[in-house]
Amino acid sequence: MADKSKLGMEFSPYTFEVEKGKIAEFAMAISQKEDKDQVNPLYVNREAAQKAGYKDIIAPPTFQACFPLWAGGGLMPVIQALGINLFRLLHGEEEYDYLGAIHPGDIMMGKSKVVDMYDKEKKDKPGKFMEFTVIETEISNQRGELVIKSRSTLVER
Amino acid sequence: MAKEIYFEDINIGDAMPTFTSDPLTRTHLVRYAGASGDFNPLHHDETFVTMFGMPRVIAHGMLIMGITSRAITEWIDNKCLKNFKVRFSGMTEPADLSDIENTKARATITVTGNVVNKFAEGGENRIQCDIQAVDALGGVKLTGSFIAALPSK
Repeated sequence: MADKSKLGMEFSPYTFEVEKGKIAEFAMAISQKEDKDQVNPLYVNREAAQKAGYKDIIAPPTFQACFPLWAGGGLMPVIQALGINLFRLLHGEEEYDYLGAIHPGDIMMGKSKVVDMYDKEKKDKPGKFMEFTVIETEISNQRGELVIKSRSTLVER
Repeated sequence: MAKEIYFEDINIGDAMPTFTSDPLTRTHLVRYAGASGDFNPLHHDETFVTMFGMPRVIAHGMLIMGITSRAITEWIDNKCLKNFKVRFSGMTEPADLSDIENTKARATITVTGNVVNKFAEGGENRIQCDIQAVDALGGVKLTGSFIAALPSK
């Protein structure tokens, strides 16, 4: 059961350096391709990206999912800090606001905070509740520009 | 890569182009685990999931969201995308290579969507499109929406 007194809790910021190879690897994974020449050229080819009006290669829309996992120790410290039961945990919702692009060489900093915690009665089991924890993360680059705002909803069923 | 689409060419009710994934295999799940760093054994280790009474591993929800993002960016240029949100509603089991014909339907994801709103915000012309990702058996994986700012003619 998530500890409701943790509402407002802020987590230690993480830093993630964006590498061209990691963008290509991620793009191949979501594209179900084994070769980077088969994915959207914006994710792997600098010239193609520049021709399309970008400064450099860009990252796919869900790329930031790898930042906390590779740089911030993943979900476990969050789950432990909030007292969430791992065996009841589901990823309920994910939302991104896009405010800028992510390019190779960027150094991203993510700051996460618990912004909402609430219960909802189960429709099929009156008196039993599902618990929701919403974590908002602001992801900025090395110039201090806010690039992505994300909201993840964790559900304990 | 998406072709340029203009705000004036989009009407409420328009469908986005339908996108269909390849049947997801365990190899796709492992590739996503490595790329994302999500090594929860739920997604690759059958000796783990069977302890919980699950017959087989399941795909990462975020992989299905990633596949859904492909559907969007094959239609709308990445730089137009302003907001993308999903609610996960069903798990996805990969196809079995030993019986691909009978198992590929549960692992093949089709993404569809319809434009539900056109509006001006922050000096931009924006559209909202509701989307869903569904397997070939009709199982809904996620529902959601995205907002894109489109150029005007």
